[in-house]
Amino acid sequence: MSAITVRNLHKTFQAKHKAAGLQGSLRALWKPEWQMVEAVRDLSFDMEDGELLGFIGPNGAGKSTTIKILTGILHPTGGDVSVLGYVPWQQRRDLAYQIGSVFGQRPQLWYHLPAIDTFYLFGKIYELDDKTIRQRIGFLTEAFEIQDLLETPVRKLSLGQRMRCEVAASLLHKPRLILLDEPSIGLDVVAKQRIRDTIKRMNEVENVGVLLTSHDAGDIEALCKRVIIVNHGQIIYQDKVSALKRSYLTSKQVDVRYAQPLPDNFQVAGAEILKAGQYGIKLRFDTRITPVEAVLTQLATAGELVDVTISDPSLEEVIRTIYQQADASPARRAANGEVARERV
Amino acid sequence: MSKYWAVFKTQLLNNFAYAGDLAAGSVMIVLFLWIFAQLWKVTYSAVGTERIAGLSRQDTLWYLMLAEVIVLSKPRLARTIAQQVRDGSVAYLLNKPYHFLLYQCSVGLGDSVLRIVTNTLMGGAVVWLLVGPPPNPQGWPLVFVTVVLAWLLDFCITAMIGLAAFITEEVRAFEWIYQKILFILGGLLIPLDFYPSWLQTIAKATPFAYTLYGPARLFVEPSLLRFGEVVLGQVVWLAILAGLLTFFYQRGVTRLAINGG
Repeated sequence: MSAITVRNLHKTFQAKHKAAGLQGSLRALWKPEWQMVEAVRDLSFDMEDGELLGFIGPNGAGKSTTIKILTGILHPTGGDVSVLGYVPWQQRRDLAYQIGSVFGQRPQLWYHLPAIDTFYLFGKIYELDDKTIRQRIGFLTEAFEIQDLLETPVRKLSLGQRMRCEVAASLLHKPRLILLDEPSIGLDVVAKQRIRDTIKRMNEVENVGVLLTSHDAGDIEALCKRVIIVNHGQIIYQDKVSALKRSYLTSKQVDVRYAQPLPDNFQVAGAEILKAGQYGIKLRFDTRITPVEAVLTQLATAGELVDVTISDPSLEEVIRTIYQQADASPARRAANGEVARERV
Repeated sequence: MSKYWAVFKTQLLNNFAYAGDLAAGSVMIVLFLWIFAQLWKVTYSAVGTERIAGLSRQDTLWYLMLAEVIVLSKPRLARTIAQQVRDGSVAYLLNKPYHFLLYQCSVGLGDSVLRIVTNTLMGGAVVWLLVGPPPNPQGWPLVFVTVVLAWLLDFCITAMIGLAAFITEEVRAFEWIYQKILFILGGLLIPLDFYPSWLQTIAKATPFAYTLYGPARLFVEPSLLRFGEVVLGQVVWLAILAGLLTFFYQRGVTRLAINGG
C-alpha cells in the first residue's frame, strides 16, 4: 500500500530581487522586482508503507519544500498529494496524528526545559493517556539510549544528544511515517552512526516508514533501500540504492604495493595513474573500456605484489556525477532559462 | 482542551528560566509608577483641586497602576511569531494536531500569568506607599473578569500583527504603532476622562480603550453598570477581532513561505 503518492507537484515562490548597494535598495523600495522561483516542478513519486526512502539533492533542490508540502505546512502551487490517505494541506491536523517530523536545523524541544517536559507536552498534544505516555517514553529512552539526558535542560545537550532526543520526540505518538529533514546535519561520525542505527531499528521494530532527506550520501547508503535524487526541483534519478551503485559504478580504483621498486615512468595501458611512488601506485580505470583482468595482468607482471586493493567510487562521487550529467543536459539548460521575472 | 492546558503549564515552567526578565519587568513598573506619582502630584497642585474629571490623585495613580500591569504583562507574541517565521521554526508549530491560534493563546497566557502577579504585587506596593490604599476590594472580581477579556482583545490584535510576518517577515513597525495607539487611545499615559469630550468619544469606542481604560476605570470606580458596559464593549470587539484574526490566519497560512528550505 502506498504511504505517499505525489503526482505532478509544483511549488513556486515569489522572491524579491534587489540589485546591490544603496541605489539598488532604493529602487527595490520604489519599484520592487519580483522573481518567480520554481522550488518544485512536476515531481511525481510513490512511497510504500514501512519503506525507508532516501530523498537527496544539493542545496536548493526542493527537498525541504517537498517535505513541508507532505506535512501540510506549505500549500503547493499545483499537483496532487496523498499522505496516508490525507491531502496534507487540507487535513493537516488529522494527518499530524499519523506522522512525525524532524527538521534537523531547527529544534522542536523546548530549549530551556529538560527534554522530558517536552515529551510529556507532546504526549498531551497527541492526546495520549498518561499510562501510554509513560510507556512510550520508557520504550524510546531505551531505544535511543537517552535515559541520562532526559532531565538535563535541552540547551545543555550536545548536538548529537539533542538530535537523539528530537527523533525520539517525533516518535512518541507512534506515527506510521516519519519525515526526517537532514537529521544528521552537523553531527560527528559516531553521532551520525547512532542516529542511523536507531532509525533503522525503529523501522524494523515498529514498521514506521521513513522519508529521509540528507546531504550525506552515507545516510542513504546506511539506511535506505531506494533513493530519489532531485535537483532544481525535479527528479533526476529514482531506483534502488544498489541499482544506483551498479549503474554509476563504472570506474574502479586500484592501490598496489610491490616488494621491489617500480621502474621509472611505469605505465598501465587503459588506466589513469593518480599517484605513483617508489614501491606503489594508485590508478583508476573505466571498466567499460578496460577490463579489470587486463589491468590486473599488467600490474602482476610488473613485479612481486605485496598488497592490492580494488575499490568503487563513493556514493558521493556517484551522486556528483548524476548532478553533473543532469546540469549539463540541454533540457536542464533550457529549464534554467525559464525563470520568469516580472515587474510588479 | 487538556492539550492547551498542557501548553499553558509548560510555558509557565519555561518562564521560570527567565527569572531575571521577571525581576527587570518589576523594576520597570516601580520606576514608571514613581515617575507618574511625581508628575500627577505636581499637576494636581498646579490645578489646585482635589479632583480632575472626577478622579482624585489616588484614583489616577491606581488607574495607571492597573493599566501599566496590563501593558507590561503582555506576551511578546507578535515578535515571537515573526521570529518563528524568520527562522523557520514555525514549521514545527504548524505540523502538530492543535489549532495554531489556540496554541499561541495558551503560550501567551503562560507567558503573562507570572508577570501579572509580580507586576501587580510590585506596582500595588509602590502605589500604596505613595498615595494610600487601593480602591474598594468588592470590585476586584469584576475587574478580574474585564482584565481577562482585555488580555484576549490584546491577544487578537498582537496575533494579527504577528501573522503579518507570514507575508512581511518583520513586524516591529506594526508593533510600535500599536504600542503608541495604546498610549493615546487606550489611556495608558492619561485617563481618557481628561481628554476633550470629542476625543473621549472617539477613543472610548475603540478596542484599545476596552483593553486598558475600561478595566482600569472600573478598578477605581467599580459599579455593576460600568462593569456591564465594559464587558459588553469587550465582547463585541472580541467577536469582531477574533473573526478577523481567524480570517487573516486562514489567508496567511496559504501564503506562508518558510525560510531556509
